Amino acid sequence: MAKVFSGVIRACALTHFRARALTVQVLGLQSLRGFRTQSASLAFAKDIFLGKINKAEAFPYPEISNEELEEISQLVAPVEKFFMEDVDSRKIDLEATIPPKTMTGLKELGLFGIQIPEEYGGLGLSNTMYARLGEITSMDGSIAVTLAAHQAIGLKGILIAGNDEQKSRYLPKLASGEHIAAFCLTEPGSGSDAASIQSRATLSEDKKYFVLNGSKIWISNGGFADIFTVFARTEVVDKDGKKMDKITAFLVERAFGGVTSGKPEDKLGIRGSNTTEVHFENTRVPVENVIGDVGGGFKVAMNILNSGRFSMGSASAGMIKRLIEMTAEYAGTRKQFGKKLEEFGLIQEKFAMMAQQAFVMESMAYLTAGMMDRPGMPDCSVEAAMVKVFSSEGAWMCVSEALQILGGLGYMKDYPYERYLRDSRILLIFEGTNEILRMFIALTGMQYAGKILTGKIKEMKKGNLGIFMEIFREKLWNSLSKKIDLGLAGPDGVVHPSLTDSAKKLEENVFYFGKTVDGLLYRFGKSIIDEQLVLKRVADVLINIYAMTAVLSRASRSITIGLRDHDHEVLLANTFCAQAHFQNNYRLAQLEKNSPENHDASIKKIAQQILERRTYVCSHPLDRSF
Amino acid sequence: MLQLSNWICWSVVYVGSRPPCASKMNATRFLFHTRSLRLPLLCVGGLRNKSVSSGPIAVRQVLSSDHCARRCLCSKPVFSRDPSQSEESQDKPNKSLISYDDLFERAAVDSKNKATFSRVLDVFKNKDVRRRGHVEFIYVALKKMAEFGVERDLAVYNKLLDVFPKEVFIPRNFIQRMFNHYPRQQECGVQILEQMESYGVMPNVETKVLLIQIFGKKSHPIRKYQRLMYWFPRFKHVNPYPVPRELPQDPVDLARFSLHRIAADLNAKVTLYQMPSSDYSEDGSLVCQPYIVGIQSPDQREVLAKHRPDRPVFVEGPFPLWLRRTCVYYYVLRADPLPPEEKVEEPVDPERNFFYPLELDLDYDRDLGDDEDFDVDEEEGPVYAMCMTGSGDRDTLAKWISGLQETNPILGCTPTVFRLDSGPSEVQSCAVSDHPEIEDVLQGQKMAQ
Repeated sequence: MAKVFSGVIRACALTHFRARALTVQVLGLQSLRGFRTQSASLAFAKDIFLGKINKAEAFPYPEISNEELEEISQLVAPVEKFFMEDVDSRKIDLEATIPPKTMTGLKELGLFGIQIPEEYGGLGLSNTMYARLGEITSMDGSIAVTLAAHQAIGLKGILIAGNDEQKSRYLPKLASGEHIAAFCLTEPGSGSDAASIQSRATLSEDKKYFVLNGSKIWISNGGFADIFTVFARTEVVDKDGKKMDKITAFLVERAFGGVTSGKPEDKLGIRGSNTTEVHFENTRVPVENVIGDVGGGFKVAMNILNSGRFSMGSASAGMIKRLIEMTAEYAGTRKQFGKKLEEFGLIQEKFAMMAQQAFVMESMAYLTAGMMDRPGMPDCSVEAAMVKVFSSEGAWMCVSEALQILGGLGYMKDYPYERYLRDSRILLIFEGTNEILRMFIALTGMQYAGKILTGKIKEMKKGNLGIFMEIFREKLWNSLSKKIDLGLAGPDGVVHPSLTDSAKKLEENVFYFGKTVDGLLYRFGKSIIDEQLVLKRVADVLINIYAMTAVLSRASRSITIGLRDHDHEVLLANTFCAQAHFQNNYRLAQLEKNSPENHDASIKKIAQQILERRTYVCSHPLDRSF
Repeated sequence: MLQLSNWICWSVVYVGSRPPCASKMNATRFLFHTRSLRLPLLCVGGLRNKSVSSGPIAVRQVLSSDHCARRCLCSKPVFSRDPSQSEESQDKPNKSLISYDDLFERAAVDSKNKATFSRVLDVFKNKDVRRRGHVEFIYVALKKMAEFGVERDLAVYNKLLDVFPKEVFIPRNFIQRMFNHYPRQQECGVQILEQMESYGVMPNVETKVLLIQIFGKKSHPIRKYQRLMYWFPRFKHVNPYPVPRELPQDPVDLARFSLHRIAADLNAKVTLYQMPSSDYSEDGSLVCQPYIVGIQSPDQREVLAKHRPDRPVFVEGPFPLWLRRTCVYYYVLRADPLPPEEKVEEPVDPERNFFYPLELDLDYDRDLGDDEDFDVDEEEGPVYAMCMTGSGDRDTLAKWISGLQETNPILGCTPTVFRLDSGPSEVQSCAVSDHPEIEDVLQGQKMAQ
């Protein structure tokens, strides 16, 4: 037995040597093909739900041309310089406002029109390059949020759904920063519920303009924005001639009149960003200023929200990279008990964690940005949401650990660390809370997989012997062979041989994830929508799988083209994959029926008992009954 | 001789079943004792003195144990003091019973309260050093406690226990321990604890100390005490919906409390539709306005707003609600459930959630193995609101409905049918029963259901 095994191992090792040479070729070929194959419906994340890896989409790691690289380096340098020298983050935080001088500087750098096409006076950068700039702008949370509110959501509506006239009319001034945009969706009712939108736009009698009334809350840039993307209810007549209320997106200029802003909100973090209420009172909006179709505002809002998230990954990574520099400096100089801080294992662990998180975030962010940059406006909303969830949580964890390295120093307002902590807390909340995004990630995939599995499961429930036998044979085969090969590693693989183990782990996770999704759909059907704890685990596994894919793809590329310090990347990638593999296995085990690791029923019961009484239930430990 | 006494000592030790290590220590001391006593007494004395174990009170104990042993041997009549059993012993307790009853009657002349009750106990205690007839006295006192309103007062129970003479009834040897020692007294002690139990009075350390002083560590009353202390704390909070012992006196407050209790919804709001008042009208007759207190939660309001105005709503009642020994009555506003064919499921608006779909477009449902829902055959109609009022006549309830209309305009165009049972509608208090606590528990269960 042992002999057979060692033989197999030797054979594997041999093939690996050959594979290395081959992979380089394959990678080279595919990188050419990768840019040529243009599928409008990219479905990397969705395919994972079927237990498949769509290699062509994640491998090889997307890259930009030398000219683009040159361009971005030329852009990054002055921006970096500006942020280092001319931005006083402490002052912005204390005074809760960005000084006009800083704003002018940002405008001069063109940072208000990063993604606006050059023909409208913007920089016309791709998503990848936008992500790169995001790394720098995240040096100050307030500025990053102001810029994001302006262009990631505020004017995105014009870019995505605006017509040429709207573009030529508004984009130039928005690109230069002369006008600033804001995105007005949230109303006092609740953020994610379209039913809570009470703002109303009524068409005037001459049908030339809408009269807009309503209030919006928590609008970033609400105090000084000139152009608002506003969502309001309008009366629409549908096919059957029935009158319905539907949401429409409007472009509203402050100059239209009737627009007032409340006082800036006092916030925990990103204090320099301007967040206010915005009220519209009989604001007359010309019909030309409807974005998209009347009654089609819901789609516009969804698209804007979905497209704005991916940059959070690079921004968080940029922040963590700077934090690593700052804290490493401290750990290398500070002495405790005659030893430097950096010599303590518990401190080293924190640095490893931060580096790994930054590495994964970065990999995910640029992989997603690269996917989005492929022609045909591919839909990467699930991938972008995964990046957002992973990076926001990673950022919060890393900032907290950085603070821990610094001890009491990190807690002091004289140092920037506590500001980073406050600023990064919002990442888990805005642009869709992580809870909501997890539902989105899991449900989108479940819907996709469900559609495909419907037929199969239906047949099985009917008792079709053929399908049953097929599944049985498949199961038997899987249990006997125990070899899962999705083609990532090996002679025809896309992953570098030094990452083979990790690739195998990824394949195993993907395979069992597909099986689990299958089982979940069979068990819960469409009622899975109410199983939020199940969906959360599904989303977590998927995020980990996507992260593993991203690091494997990136590290493979780095080795293959011989990037500096690629051995460090391999180390990070392998460590991360091993950890994620373990986490995934645990979660997948929890998702099995009657799993002893799954405590959902008890968790729900605890919560129910507490919420029933709206208080902590237990008696005080010092209470007596006699 | 020495060996003999030694043997006796060991046999005593084992029969008495004391812990072995303690008994070894005692053995030597005991040896010393038996030898110092006269030989003929060996057998009896040895048995008797077995309990003479610890130093300072030993002498007193020897004396009193002598006394009690004698009583034990010749105390057949004491055992059967039950009035029904022996003719000769019937007179005495009866006589004394009357006299003790008298004691309380005399004390109750000025007022029946804790002070007078305690005074009676003091009088009895100080009257006679030997506390003759204390058992009879205690039985009478137990009966009178409710009358004096001290039936839930732990201090009074302790004082009552204090009436027992101390140390007299503690068994001194294994025979006494084996048989029921002073059964009448022990029975009486247990009776005190039983009454405490039935009134839900939890004994405290003082009670325990008294019981040990009176009956010793392994007596029946102590066992009873231990059982009480085992179960009482466990049952103290057995009702998840406790009713306070003192209910609000004001009927409006009581209604408020009761409505919150049945509504079981923290969002529900109580509205006082009409204050209770009585006025003389123009023709001089007394006009009483009964109170009307209603409760409605936002959820109920929402469901009511969706009610179809062509279907009637019903005002039904009165339904009883028991709060300890008080019964109150309430009325509900409800409708019949929609017949299944008229039910329309509201479709989920696909443009509702900006972030994720609220409904999956799949056409298979939950697998049977994971379906943990109950099938409820008979569905009850929705309850829209509840109220309590001073008088359950139609006019008053109509006022409630018109008050509800202010927040639920749909009631204005919906036919309202009054389906009222004739019956008691006033707040009632049932007679005090013998086992109030048991009743409380039953009520608690009823309510929980």
